[in-house]
Amino acid sequence: MVYEFRYLAPRTAAELAAVLDGHKDDGKLLAGGTDLIPSIRNGVLKPKVVIDLKKYSGADRLSYGADGLSIGPAVTVNDILRSKDARERYPALCDCAHELASHQIRNRATVAGNVVNASPCSDMAPALLCLGAKAVIRSATGERVVPFSQFFAGVKKTVLAPGEFLSAIVVPAESAGARGRYLKLKRIAGHDLGIVGVLMTRRDGELRFAVSSAAPTPVLVDSVTEKDSADEAARKVLASVSPISDVRGTKEYREHMIGVYARRLFTEVK
Amino acid sequence: MRIQLTVNGLAYERDCAEHRTLLRFLREDLGLMGTKEGCGMGECGACTVIMNGRAVNSCMVLAVEADGATIRTIEGEADGPSLSDIQKAFERNHAVQCGFCTAGMVMSVKELLSEHPKPSADQVKEAIEGNFCRCTGYTQIVEAVLDLTGSPEKKGELEHV
Repeated sequence: MVYEFRYLAPRTAAELAAVLDGHKDDGKLLAGGTDLIPSIRNGVLKPKVVIDLKKYSGADRLSYGADGLSIGPAVTVNDILRSKDARERYPALCDCAHELASHQIRNRATVAGNVVNASPCSDMAPALLCLGAKAVIRSATGERVVPFSQFFAGVKKTVLAPGEFLSAIVVPAESAGARGRYLKLKRIAGHDLGIVGVLMTRRDGELRFAVSSAAPTPVLVDSVTEKDSADEAARKVLASVSPISDVRGTKEYREHMIGVYARRLFTEVK
Repeated sequence: MRIQLTVNGLAYERDCAEHRTLLRFLREDLGLMGTKEGCGMGECGACTVIMNGRAVNSCMVLAVEADGATIRTIEGEADGPSLSDIQKAFERNHAVQCGFCTAGMVMSVKELLSEHPKPSADQVKEAIEGNFCRCTGYTQIVEAVLDLTGSPEKKGELEHV
């Protein structure tokens, strides 16, 4: 890359918070780098300082306890797929992880980076929305917890303020065992951004849908009940989204396929 | 920044610009030109190397991030004039045409076989989904891997196009 920047790699979470606080305007956090490095290369982002969050102890911690599954900011998408806890307790999380990009990218890309990037086509967001996950947000001045249903603020925008970073994602223990399936429509069978993606989860009679690539942010739909028909479920999902036409597909095609996927999932996820 | 890393079993210590990618570092600082740059943004997989046991796109890793890492590149495959088993299988099955994607393909397959010594055809396809080939059309590449591993799925089941 021709563009030059400084690289910092704090060794503790507190040091990371302090460094980030000192570079609110000119610093960018580096997790997997699979979005940041191409963006710098293409001139979209021009940070003076790149702050690597993978090098502090605990950043890559992935553990299951009484609170649920705790995902550190350096945990990669393939770490999720290799985790016995994630596979056995959170199949919807793994289904979404498996649809994200290619094997090499999943080896680097982090779950935290995928949601902080806040792309409408985020593949991890649907799982975190349906499973009721929370974002633990840290800064030099403290910590706050925000549910993912309130985390996304717009295209590529989140509620993170300058100086704040996502220090953990917690998928609650209550969501363990939820059945689920993610259907992602792509232009090719291999790795691609989604044209649309629909996840449905079902646990103890509670149904949830989440949709990617269909609105400025990933969308959670929690109004569908067991009493609905498949058509009613699809109507409720469609009423919550506002897809656009772009290079990957038209608004009409997206709406049609969201309906197809919602009906299919409603029938098949038992 | 001063970095230390092991590449194909050899320890290196070098000064490296902080914005330099691992790909550029391998090619231009260490002279290991086997790893290729295709798209430079994680689409094509030509730059795939194995970092701490995992296949990664070296165009999207900073060399300074690899401080302390163990790297394998295509140069670590052959032993002098003797090709590795994966390379021999590629040769035997005509899985190489222009060769530009081959280094990355071989590294992706190497990581796959380290975890799954007898992969199914689908597992092979998934392992190389991030590696673009614009010549052979993938079938010979999948056949080469199944030929090498003697996997349960016979290569005749693959569809030639």
